[in-house]
Amino acid sequence: MAHPLQLGFQDAMSPVMEELLHFHDHTLMIVFLISTLVLYIITLMMTTKLTYTNTMNAQEVEMIWTILPAIVLITIALPSLRVLYLMDEINNPHLTIKAMGHQWYWTYEYTDYENLEFDSYMIHTQDLPNGYFRLLEVDHRMVMPMESPIRILISAEDVLHSWAIPSLGVKTDAVPGRLNQTTFIITRPGMFYGQCSEICGANHSFMPIVVESVPLQYFENWSSLMLS
Amino acid sequence: MSSTLLPKPQMRGLLAKRLRFHIVGAMIVSLGSAFLYKYGVAEPRKRLYADFYKNYDSMKDFEAMREAGVFESVQPKNS
Repeated sequence: MAHPLQLGFQDAMSPVMEELLHFHDHTLMIVFLISTLVLYIITLMMTTKLTYTNTMNAQEVEMIWTILPAIVLITIALPSLRVLYLMDEINNPHLTIKAMGHQWYWTYEYTDYENLEFDSYMIHTQDLPNGYFRLLEVDHRMVMPMESPIRILISAEDVLHSWAIPSLGVKTDAVPGRLNQTTFIITRPGMFYGQCSEICGANHSFMPIVVESVPLQYFENWSSLMLS
Repeated sequence: MSSTLLPKPQMRGLLAKRLRFHIVGAMIVSLGSAFLYKYGVAEPRKRLYADFYKNYDSMKDFEAMREAGVFESVQPKNS
């Protein structure tokens, strides 16, 4: 989860998020380059009384400030498309889970083998045990096996919602009447927090998502327990 | 009374001279800031992730978290 005064992304917990992190660093480096250049030139222009009033044409500078930005855009586009296509790779998921958005909770359905279905409501602050995270904890966490490709099918029963977990690099809209798919691999065990990311009414900020990532055998034990 | 002539000051091309000097300065500053970000933030971050996962044992990490009691689906061994 995020910590106070955090500026950057949360630690990456999936390979795609790691790629996104590095791509963001690359793009931000270019942003700093352009911003410092522009700021320097503005300061330069504001600190002189010298002028040149005989400008007739500017062929050379026009060439430079057309070609250089084109090069910059290509430098950004190539890694961007690489990550985009990486996210769409066919990865043969071991497990499919459905996440249905409601006002104002999520329902998770594990229907690959048996019919496991449960609701996940936010735990209110007055009921929160010590040491738990305010407005982020839920009564039933979404448990998933780590180091396995997982497919999540996301939809909604009423209005638009969005299923998002920053540390996994996932944000997918939950649209009523539509099934959206996202896939990821969780590289580490632990808890990963997210929040609904599409305005959906009064309690939009109070329908968080918690993923609990455990080894496969413990995931199987948990799902058997939930079914019984 | 005698008067000595001052050298003629430069009267033309002052803006061009200033621009020539500062364009180089602007390139140095902007490329320098990009260089600083790349080698101060981006490359260390890549190295951190690579080093973390080089000898990472996910089961050991899981067992430590399990004993700390953070999971709801898995109880600590000693409970």
